[in-house]
Amino acid sequence: MRRLRRILGTDLPVAAILAFALLPWLWMVLSSLRPESDYARYPVRLLPDTLTLANHIELLARTSFAQNMRDSLIVAAGAVSTGLLLSLPAAYAFSRLRFPGRRALRVQFLVVNMFPVVMLILPLFVLLRDFRLLDTYFALIIGHATFTLPFAIWLLTSYIDGIPAELDEAAMIDGATRLQLMIRVVLPLAAPGLVAVGIYLFIASWNEYLFALMLAGRNVRTVTVALQSFIGENQVHWGLLTAGGTLVALPAVVLFLFAQKRLVGGLTGGAVKG
Amino acid sequence: MRAPAALPWLLLAPALLATVVLVFAPAADTLWLSLHNVVLFRPRVRPFVGLANYAAMLEDAEFWAGLGRSLLWVVAGVGLQFLLGFAAALLLNRQFGWRTLARALIIVPWALPSVIIGLVWTWMLDFNLGLINEIGLRLGLLAVPVPWLSQPATAMAAVILAIVWQGFPFFAVTLLAGLQAIPPEHYEAAAIDGAGRVAAFRHVTLPGLAPVIATALLLRMIWVANSLDLILVMTGGGPGTSTQTLPLYAFLRAWSGADYGYGSALAVVLTLLLLGVVVAYAVRSAR
Amino acid sequence: MNRRDLLAWATALAAAPLARPHAQTPVTVRWWYHFDDPSASPAELVRAFEASNPGIHVQAENIPWGGGSDYDTRMYSAIIANDAPDCAMVKFNNMPRLMEMDAIEPLDGRIAAWPGRADISDYLWALHRASDGHRYYLPVQYVVLYLYVRQDWVQKAGLPMPTDFDKFLAAAKAMTGDDRWGFGLRGGAGGHDFWCSFVLGGGAKMVKGGLVTPEALAANKWFIDLFRVQHVEPPSAPSDGFLQIISNLKAGRTGMTIHHIGSANEISAALGDAITAMPVPRGPQGKGWTSFGDGSNAIFAQGRNKDAAWAWISYLSTGETNVAFNKLSGQVTVTSSGARNWSFQPKRFIDATVASLPIAATLPPSPQTADFTRTVWPQTTQKALLGQISPDDMMRTFETLYFG
Repeated sequence: MRRLRRILGTDLPVAAILAFALLPWLWMVLSSLRPESDYARYPVRLLPDTLTLANHIELLARTSFAQNMRDSLIVAAGAVSTGLLLSLPAAYAFSRLRFPGRRALRVQFLVVNMFPVVMLILPLFVLLRDFRLLDTYFALIIGHATFTLPFAIWLLTSYIDGIPAELDEAAMIDGATRLQLMIRVVLPLAAPGLVAVGIYLFIASWNEYLFALMLAGRNVRTVTVALQSFIGENQVHWGLLTAGGTLVALPAVVLFLFAQKRLVGGLTGGAVKG
Repeated sequence: MRAPAALPWLLLAPALLATVVLVFAPAADTLWLSLHNVVLFRPRVRPFVGLANYAAMLEDAEFWAGLGRSLLWVVAGVGLQFLLGFAAALLLNRQFGWRTLARALIIVPWALPSVIIGLVWTWMLDFNLGLINEIGLRLGLLAVPVPWLSQPATAMAAVILAIVWQGFPFFAVTLLAGLQAIPPEHYEAAAIDGAGRVAAFRHVTLPGLAPVIATALLLRMIWVANSLDLILVMTGGGPGTSTQTLPLYAFLRAWSGADYGYGSALAVVLTLLLLGVVVAYAVRSAR
Repeated sequence: MNRRDLLAWATALAAAPLARPHAQTPVTVRWWYHFDDPSASPAELVRAFEASNPGIHVQAENIPWGGGSDYDTRMYSAIIANDAPDCAMVKFNNMPRLMEMDAIEPLDGRIAAWPGRADISDYLWALHRASDGHRYYLPVQYVVLYLYVRQDWVQKAGLPMPTDFDKFLAAAKAMTGDDRWGFGLRGGAGGHDFWCSFVLGGGAKMVKGGLVTPEALAANKWFIDLFRVQHVEPPSAPSDGFLQIISNLKAGRTGMTIHHIGSANEISAALGDAITAMPVPRGPQGKGWTSFGDGSNAIFAQGRNKDAAWAWISYLSTGETNVAFNKLSGQVTVTSSGARNWSFQPKRFIDATVASLPIAATLPPSPQTADFTRTVWPQTTQKALLGQISPDDMMRTFETLYFG
């Protein structure tokens, strides 16, 4: 009976939400395993007659996709670390310190995302040209890290807000400096938040297109730019697109598979009781 | 406990520097350009026109229509993302055998670039060769195939569906992290007080999650309000202008229409509107 | 960031850098291109060119097309930031804007002295002349739009091939029904080519007042009625793009559509002999109009290696090299020598292309054309197809855009 209730109350709803989340992607995965002649067929065939890896092989052997995945990984890893380095001290300050202008400053970080990026890209292009930073990893990393600061700072602040301040005070009485406090007390307790924000930063950078198109492209060419180039003026390479769309989801999923333990483990009852 | 007065500024300096250089300086440029008649391909002639671009907006039917569509796009898009993501977070917070796998797989839509999402949904919604019409017809849910992206109402619903699909895993992950941070003793205490599941949800889960919910909603609202890539891929703002939101309109006017001054002014107005919402939120939460 | 930097586009653009006539040191030519096939690489062409032109290194950069908008946004930003490549593939619809920015280099002198000049027909040279009489674009590829027809369906219905509007409508009606439609209209971006064939071919003219004459309004109403009254187009036509019209034709959902030789191999692979191509139908006055799909290279004024850039782009438009280039791009060679033995698509599609040349034309060289094709045409036409505005209002919108 309990078992049935769990299946009806938990397993089935989870399966339903997962079906919604996964079906479009699975349809794409299935499409990527079909011969390209299957895409324009009527009536639509749900299941292909033959399965083929031809699209995936062409993607990896005849285009620069593997290289583009590497560039995207470098940029995303850089954006995650830079973003966390910039946002964690700021979030700590907003959460734990009281200073004039605190509220206004917090709001000003939100303003970062309020401006349509398509209308900032031209001055940004000129700026990075002046610094001779166009088409470098650094340009994309700092760009991605900066434009995700609102999320990172605000979310980290609210996670740190959730850590009882008595813990800080206990540590201060024990003679810990602010830095030690941040590293030894706040950092471990904020781990679930850091993981959530880290994943956010990774995905935001991984999927970003406009900066990758405008501020890089030759030396540094990310997967989003590569995928876009499969849509030509007179031809859409559905096989390459679906194969690319299959592979491009994997790094974030694998990352989250491993990272989610930290999402759970950060806060223990014992620590809170302090 | 007291901290040196310079400490907060020291901690904020790197983030502030990055935003000032990379966001506020370019934004100031755009603000300045919005006061001029800037034609993209006439860089030599750029007369100062004061607020003329802003005044022109009042007369511009597409601006007001775009504003209305943006409102629908944000409210429906973010609202549904939140509800679905919240439900997913609550479910994924329970104990069941394949939880680890389910948690990892739910982020798939979020882990895909917009161009892929736009193409896949466009293809699934295709009138002639799409999966959705095919399944709808086979199951008898549809009597005739529907040209989803070719009718104003269904096209708007379709782009909202796509952004909900893309964004709900964000809420699921963020709120799941928030749920993890609620100390189990609070639930134990509620149970001792004789609270049932619904009462525990109302008195422990919701208050504990409230700051994260508020933050995530606010941030997502701003982000969705400015996001145009999905719409651009799926409908280009069409059919007609029925899915043309404000930032898409700004983009098309500035780049395709080459009316960079007017596009800049549209961007500035959108920013001010969002700022108004945020300030209202900040004032309310300060009370 | 120095605000004046952006504001001083003028200075940046006016300060035309001095061309270095004979660079002794190796020079690098930055060249932007876009091919439809992501696995097609110009690396072989670059290698061959560098071998015969020691001292010149070609840096080829593949810019995503993105419906034209990504490529253009990238190009205009680079020009404004004084970071344009030395040369790039360009389209007619941008020429007026690029000219007005003084962003592209006149090539008259270089073309006059170029031995390859005679291998490109006078007809193509005439089409590529700019509105100010100069030459800025060096043709490298082209296509001409034609009508794809399911000849098996036309024969089955016992009808003549659709050479004029009446026969076209008769064929479209005969093909429609039983889950299929006579004509696959492209109502999304890029569909202006369809409109041009039926409305400019049907009596409208791209001159002041020419879009709102009684003949022009009648031709446009006829065009819109194909969807609204005759129902010979799929209900999805208002938003169908390139992918949909080609897929529908391949899947046997539509019997006719307009495209060009770039899709011939793909379509004949799917449909075999059932599909053929012919010039678009002619209007009531016997007039015909089809889009000339251009592709050229241009040299940017702000580049420093103009001689080397010319060496590269003129190499690409020469004889065998141009044939190799078009094998990569999937279009047609601009050289007469290459055209003689052209055999990369089935003959009937090459014939249809050649037969369409006499009625091939382009939209007027106006700065509005880029906006027209990308945004104004699809938005306005979709409104008319949906009945939100009348066909006459649609024409008045276009008249206002072009002629005030």
